[in-house]
Amino acid sequence: MTTLSSSTRENKPLVKKFSPVVKAAMEHYAQLSDDLNKACEHANVVALRQQAKQTFMQQGFPTRRDEDWGYTKLTDFVQTHFRIEGLSQISLGDIQPFLPSYPATRIVMVDGWFSENLSDDLSSLPKGVSVESMNDILDIPESAEKLIGPQAEIEKEPFGILNTMLLSDGYFLQVSRNTAVEIPIFVLHVQTQNQHVSNLRNRIIVEQNAELTLIESYVSLTAGQDEAFSGLTNVVSEIEVAEEARFKQVVFQGQAEKSYYFGNQFVSQGARSMFNTLYAATGSLTSRHQNHLQMNGEHIESTQNSACYASGQQTMDSRTYTEHNQVNGVSRQLHKYVLDGSAVGVFNGMIKVAQAAQKTDGQMDNKNLLLSNTAQMDTKPQLEIYADDVKCSHGSATGQINKDQVFYLQARGITKPQAIRMITEAFLLEPLEEVGNPDIKAWVASSLSQKLNG
Amino acid sequence: MLLKVENLQAQIEEKQILKGLNLEVKPGEVHAIMGPNGSGKSTFASVLAGREDYEVTAGSVEFEGQDLLEMDTEDRARKGVFLAFQYPVEIPGVSNKLFMQTAVNAVREEKGLPPFDMFDFDEYAQEKIELLNMRPDLLERSVNVGFSGGEKKRNDIFQMALLEPKLCILDETDSGLDIDALRVVANGVNALRSEERSFIVVTHYQRLLDYIKPDHVHVLYNGRIVKSGGFELVHELEENGYDDIIQQYQGE
Repeated sequence: MTTLSSSTRENKPLVKKFSPVVKAAMEHYAQLSDDLNKACEHANVVALRQQAKQTFMQQGFPTRRDEDWGYTKLTDFVQTHFRIEGLSQISLGDIQPFLPSYPATRIVMVDGWFSENLSDDLSSLPKGVSVESMNDILDIPESAEKLIGPQAEIEKEPFGILNTMLLSDGYFLQVSRNTAVEIPIFVLHVQTQNQHVSNLRNRIIVEQNAELTLIESYVSLTAGQDEAFSGLTNVVSEIEVAEEARFKQVVFQGQAEKSYYFGNQFVSQGARSMFNTLYAATGSLTSRHQNHLQMNGEHIESTQNSACYASGQQTMDSRTYTEHNQVNGVSRQLHKYVLDGSAVGVFNGMIKVAQAAQKTDGQMDNKNLLLSNTAQMDTKPQLEIYADDVKCSHGSATGQINKDQVFYLQARGITKPQAIRMITEAFLLEPLEEVGNPDIKAWVASSLSQKLNG
Repeated sequence: MLLKVENLQAQIEEKQILKGLNLEVKPGEVHAIMGPNGSGKSTFASVLAGREDYEVTAGSVEFEGQDLLEMDTEDRARKGVFLAFQYPVEIPGVSNKLFMQTAVNAVREEKGLPPFDMFDFDEYAQEKIELLNMRPDLLERSVNVGFSGGEKKRNDIFQMALLEPKLCILDETDSGLDIDALRVVANGVNALRSEERSFIVVTHYQRLLDYIKPDHVHVLYNGRIVKSGGFELVHELEENGYDDIIQQYQGE
């Protein structure tokens, strides 16, 4: 009989074991990657996908043993093998209900592919703004460095690796120095084909002293399709907010109720820049939105908020990882969840303050309202502080609706269901206070309210 | 008869609080209900408004000839019963405007009147704000959030003015108010007095009553009204306290 010593255990690379179902799913996506490569003439792109495939086949999909995924189960997800097809033909009329009423430059991605027909004319964008389709960039080997930014962290995320392995389309958005883009850019991501992967790889560069407001809306076009419609959106965005730049972002995720959404945003901020993001979610069976934020200069401000409403069997996960790397940084976070039915909400936030980041002011709050006895919230706010002169706080509170508040409204003639709605809506919409543009705020509010009152 | 309470008995968590309360209120009358702590004053106000924590075990309450106890809280409010809270509740994120526009329109619907739109409501609310000398930004603020104790009570009186109820129940509205806030509340109540509108003012002290001058004064003790009289009873209580009346009652 042989015994393993601890040293041999460390030296030997850990071989992860996967269940047959997970293994089959992994092989399916590896095959998709090979198929994409067969149709691809560019060696560098092929190499990128192949390298990612190798990593993916070792690391695979997370299982319930992975601590980071313990509350966000993928049991259902791995049973469907999502495929990649071409651009489906839909009309402007089809997407009309999803378009905003405020002025915005429109970009439309259909099942993950850039749609030239449905998007505004990219050659007539305001001066200093450029948008390109990643698919076009893939066709020009010389510009392939635009594809992949400096973020090595992507490879640490299972869906990040999957994203590189299935590299297909996305957008490259650049705002040049000193350009303040007045009209927001609105990107509509629409799922139209059942059991299809929308694999999006985006890069956003806001150069020095530039300003941009970006709205991203993830929806499903399921009119005429059955209730079992399920699409997978896997998006990775690399975002650079240069010195003194200001980048404001709203991500709305309102996909069909059996769909999946996995979003990873890797954001780096330069000195004296401002980054303000809101994630608002009502859709998908399982969804997970992650911000990986590096505050790499002095006097940086950042705001990361979430407003999530989940019901039925939905699992909704929003998480943030925030690094304060230089002095005088201010970060604010408010994440709110309203959970009904048997929904599961997951929040995980980490503020990491480097030794050099003195005078950091970090605040992270998570507040949750449970509307049923079967809803569940799993939350883990964390701080890791290596500097000695900082002001950091984190907190989390989960509760049920306040009966005294309901009675107060009823005592003024408001019916009980309406009272509950008013209180719940007010609770859920608080994180929207940080959205500066009143039109955009109203648009997100009505998107959330519609679902809440539906 | 606007309100007719007969042999009302109520309990909370198996504890009997009201033990057979009788009261009749005619339109336009102002009744004060006084009594020591724990006598059941707030329970009575809560039962009339329909708070679910209390269980009515016997007796009846008729409001304009209808069985009040059968109605939901919101229906009572729509029909004209108003409770000014001892502790008005804070509701973060809900503006006074949205709150009161919804409430006023609920009452208007009950009366068969068309709802107020934003502009109608603003105009209507503005009159009441001036009448009660409220802060002009009141409507934009979240309900009672960041309000002082006095502001909260005044906000309740403001709501009362907007809803124009038939029966106003003031549950210790005077507690915790300084003299200036008390005067504002009292003036508000007096401004709303009319031939059709009745009041039940529940209080521990006489100072609010000096301003309001009720028509009838009742002393509540141990879940029953043990003595009734006119305004002069207020001063009798002030001089002698509740002890005489309680002893007298226990002697019987």
